Amino acid sequence: MAEAPYVPLRPIPLKERSAILFLEYGQLDVLDGAFVLVDQNGTRMQIPVGGLACLMLEPGTRVSHAAVVLCARVGCLLVWVGEAGVRLYAAGQPGGARADLLLFQARNALDEGARLNVVREMFRRRFGEEPPERRSVDQLRGMEGARVRATYQLLAQRHGVTWKARRYDQEDWTGGDLPNRCLSAANACLYGLCEAAILAAGYAPAIGFLHRGKPQSFVYDVADLYKFDTVVPAAFQVAARILKGKGGQEPPERQVRIACRDLFRRTGLLERVIPDIAAILAAGGLAPPEDAPEAADPAIPPEEGSGDDGHRG
Amino acid sequence: MMVIVVENAPPRLRGRLSLWLAEVRAGVYVGVYSRRVRERIWEEVGQMIGEGNAVMTWAAPTDSGFAFAAIGANRREPVDIDGLTLVKFRPPTDPDAPPF
Repeated sequence: MAEAPYVPLRPIPLKERSAILFLEYGQLDVLDGAFVLVDQNGTRMQIPVGGLACLMLEPGTRVSHAAVVLCARVGCLLVWVGEAGVRLYAAGQPGGARADLLLFQARNALDEGARLNVVREMFRRRFGEEPPERRSVDQLRGMEGARVRATYQLLAQRHGVTWKARRYDQEDWTGGDLPNRCLSAANACLYGLCEAAILAAGYAPAIGFLHRGKPQSFVYDVADLYKFDTVVPAAFQVAARILKGKGGQEPPERQVRIACRDLFRRTGLLERVIPDIAAILAAGGLAPPEDAPEAADPAIPPEEGSGDDGHRG
Repeated sequence: MMVIVVENAPPRLRGRLSLWLAEVRAGVYVGVYSRRVRERIWEEVGQMIGEGNAVMTWAAPTDSGFAFAAIGANRREPVDIDGLTLVKFRPPTDPDAPPF
């Protein structure tokens, strides 16, 4: 038999993927080109990484070099998280895979006028109404905070959950009340997904507009666009079910994740994130940067990608 | 919805397929993708199948509700009967072989 040809691996677009998968306890490796999680008993579980937006690795996982290479090739983001996904330690792809998009994002964030336009567009998308005129970013942030508190109250009431305030302590996970814990777990899912989308498209997670100064500022900005349509209702629904004693035996975090996954699928979230990011940045009103006149074409021209713009493939 | 079944396929093709699809039984892969992605996966199957054979079916707005394609030698062959695709089954070359 003739030597079979080498067939390159190329990522598929984010919008066609499943959302998210949490893995714990096991060795992630590559066997015959398949991505597998091998547990202590030697049981192998094949994971269709090419069809996933991101893999959340919980404590107890080890990843081989080959597995990381494969994830990078198929464009699946690896995210290392703490137990129940409440803390994010590291993500497996550096941001800014597309210089032009990165520069555009940075230009919008640096120009105060453009930044205000972007923040106003985010406000418009979140609350479905025009933000008041002549307000600064800080004033808009204050208004947003008040509205968010009211929305929490409203959604909690609608799902029959007693709600005091959004309160969580990263050091003491089990100390929080149940709705807050469900909410934290649900947010973790949404953040992982938004970060995967931001990185897949080639933007930088740290360059935020409403949020500033954190490694994931832009992730919080983007996640806030969807939070109250997706994960907050899902979290409250699960919390209400558990408080009524109808939650079953599974831990709350797990039930929340399942609810979030269904909701992401139902709302078509993955199809929307990348176009929405492009739209809110375009609302800044600046022109995308043009190639510098002295810029040289790459010495090795890139193959035509099949995934999103920032996938390394 | 799409299903791919491979027979006598090289392990690296089977591994490759499991990157996009769930292998629910040996050589049986299931997933949901757009036409563009489906055609790309099928193209890779064609490039990597070697001496094995493969068949893919997918949900399609045809009369039967699905369509399928095959690569490699197999006793089953698709035939088009007035627009409805059926499967023709050639007799075994080995007379002792089981009839299915």
